[in-house]
Amino acid sequence: MAKEGVGTAEAQTDKQGKLRAESDLDMLRILVDSIMEYAIIMLDTKGNMVSWSPAAERLKGYSAAEVVGKHFSIFSLPEDAASGKTDAELKTAVREGRFEDEGWRVRKDGSKFWANVVITALLDTDGTFKGFGMVTRDLSQRKEAEERIKGQAKEILEMATVIVQVWDGIILVPLIGMLDSERTQQLMERLLQRLTETNSPVALIDITGVPTIDTQTAQHLIETIKAVRYIGSEVVLTGVRPAIAQTLVHLGIDLSGATTRSSLTAGLRVAFEIINIHVAHESAQGAAVGK
Amino acid sequence: MIEGIAVLKLRDVLLVTMPADPDDSTVSALQSRTLDAMEQHDVKGLILDLSKVEILDSYFARTVAETAKMVTLMGGETLIAGMRPSVAITATELNVTLGATRTVLTLDRALDLAGNISRKKSVQKTRSAL
Repeated sequence: MAKEGVGTAEAQTDKQGKLRAESDLDMLRILVDSIMEYAIIMLDTKGNMVSWSPAAERLKGYSAAEVVGKHFSIFSLPEDAASGKTDAELKTAVREGRFEDEGWRVRKDGSKFWANVVITALLDTDGTFKGFGMVTRDLSQRKEAEERIKGQAKEILEMATVIVQVWDGIILVPLIGMLDSERTQQLMERLLQRLTETNSPVALIDITGVPTIDTQTAQHLIETIKAVRYIGSEVVLTGVRPAIAQTLVHLGIDLSGATTRSSLTAGLRVAFEIINIHVAHESAQGAAVGK
Repeated sequence: MIEGIAVLKLRDVLLVTMPADPDDSTVSALQSRTLDAMEQHDVKGLILDLSKVEILDSYFARTVAETAKMVTLMGGETLIAGMRPSVAITATELNVTLGATRTVLTLDRALDLAGNISRKKSVQKTRSAL
């Protein structure tokens, strides 16, 4: 049977595939080889690989024969190797004893994986620098989960931005949660599109569900108000609670481009006025007719 | 003679329609021809139809804003009609200020409003005559 890697020469594999150790060093070697979650690799003082483990093979796709003697930069992204980031990793490990990084690394087949890498400078008992130990962990799944959560958070925000037509000529946007620039941009595009499609002169933006307003959020609102005006509609901003009104004045924010009201009911009344609709109770109408 | 801009006198307003992607000379022509027409005809104001316009640059945006101010100085009112959403977003990015210029969704609505303006003015005239 071929050598599994440097250092396993004396370890023997029996019929059940179990490794049998003949010395303490072998015990350690078997331990390293049996850890599948971490690729544990030894590098010489220049960063060339001197050992390889089954976990490293599983993670990176190379067999021991393919990589022992090669520089560890073959796992780096070409741009990282070119920019000197890879060399700097070793320098940091020498200077500080340890280097840790989380980032993209490359497998044999060229695919990328998100890795946690720790490089430790190895010194012998005299303090002579002998090389490096490199431990790599594949965090792709965690990274994917993080990305998924980020994506879902965005989807939730999108769902939180509903644009509905409440009357012929009136579009209602109940805003829930904080406004960031990306969300504002998206809201603006969708709102303008909807206003022109439905030929609506009024956009009712209700901020009852917006917890607090900071300068940036206000700026985003002002931009939306302006854009709505350019296309020929106007914004009626509702849900301006006392706390929000106080914040707006203290921050010196000028929302004069829009009509503002504290309640949606009051805002709807303004909207009706703009599109020239008179709402009256039937009894009141009857009385008016009676006169 | 620059093609693409149509300056029409419609009852007592001027109707100016801009092409999809006007170059700088077309934009300059917009201003001079509009102001000339304002002087020539006794009109109450200007309807600037931007419904065909797809691209807005800073020069175009500034010229539109300036022209509206100049029309005001000459005693007219400007209505901007039919600006597209994409153009409106560019306008916010360019921080275009429209001042007192009114905007409307469509040319139809602009004509409705223009009718109101002239009616109001004629009412005022009648009143002052009395």
